[in-house]
Amino acid sequence: MRTNLTCEACERELGAYLDGALHPAVAGALESHLGSCRSCRLKLEAYRAIEARLAELPEIEAPAWLESRVLDAVLAQPRRERLWSRGLAAAAALGFACSVGAIAFLPQLAKEWGLPDPAHWPFAALRGALNGIVLFAKRLALDLTFYEPIVRQIWASLRALEALPRAALITLRTPEAETACAIVLTLGVAFYFALRPSRTREGGVGHVCLSL
Amino acid sequence: METEERDLVRRCLARDERAYRELIRRYQTAVVNLAWRMTGNAEDAAEVSQETFIRVLRSLSTYDPERPFRTWLFKIASNLALDLLRRRKRRPVSIEDLGDEDGPMFEPADPGPGPDEGLRLERADERFDGLVKELPETYQAILFLRYKQELSYEEISETLGIPLGTVKVRLHRAHEALRRKLIARGTT
Repeated sequence: MRTNLTCEACERELGAYLDGALHPAVAGALESHLGSCRSCRLKLEAYRAIEARLAELPEIEAPAWLESRVLDAVLAQPRRERLWSRGLAAAAALGFACSVGAIAFLPQLAKEWGLPDPAHWPFAALRGALNGIVLFAKRLALDLTFYEPIVRQIWASLRALEALPRAALITLRTPEAETACAIVLTLGVAFYFALRPSRTREGGVGHVCLSL
Repeated sequence: METEERDLVRRCLARDERAYRELIRRYQTAVVNLAWRMTGNAEDAAEVSQETFIRVLRSLSTYDPERPFRTWLFKIASNLALDLLRRRKRRPVSIEDLGDEDGPMFEPADPGPGPDEGLRLERADERFDGLVKELPETYQAILFLRYKQELSYEEISETLGIPLGTVKVRLHRAHEALRRKLIARGTT
């Protein structure tokens, strides 16, 4: 058991001692110290008086509207959820009924409207999708074949710029040179759009470029 | 948890409106006062309390019935009160920030209470609540939970999400701050 408790250590434990939250050994040491220290004893009494007053602290009343507002908010949510779930269920039922009706009457309607047999529609859709993919791939390949040599030439020209002396590159940093670059870039973009439709025309600008 | 409380929670889970009302009536004063101690004004306390009960009733299915209901409820209330303080950009004041007439709170040369201390405490009694309100909100919350709601140190620790040692230290500091304020008011 600790018997050499200092006043400072004792004071720290007084609140816990009053609340009965101390280990019995510590409480014993504290009581032993209190027996011989008037200052700590008086502090204990002060704390005891404070705790008694704390237990009698005034309280405010809860607002009268609290209960109704909470209930409105809590009960309104399930109502909204119920409405949503009922709406969804009705929509699902309607959708199901329409599907069943369509399946039942579709062959007859298709016959009347001169459409192919609905049994073949899924295959027709699949064939259409596959054709679309193949067509897209072909066009992409054509585009690549057409533009690849042009892009290669432009790239080679740009690489040639590396051969320019460093001083020449520095001179390009003047406002005049920047304006000139902007004009060249704009012309390049315009040139691209001019070339693009000419790919399909023999003798167009694109073909002329390639023949150079 | 008490059987009655457990039954009440079970009925609330079954969406029994009367159980909702009973639960709110049972805890509204405690929640409002905890929020009042933490936020410092009645309007904010009412707002926090409303949000607390809405949240509690909506998320009751996540509550662990093996733990005390009050602790769970107060934890939600205190978190919401702290959120409100943060939104208002009010920093919870530390007790070390509080100066008083006697200077620093824990000066080693403190002479301790004098022989007429009891008389001074009596005279200061009327203004005691005012002195408590001068403490930082988090300390007021701890005092409220300990001495008005009689929560254990462990329950306070769980409610406020702070270590047990911090609860002890803050309670001690709150006691000491109140004692000093009482002495200061009694002598001036």
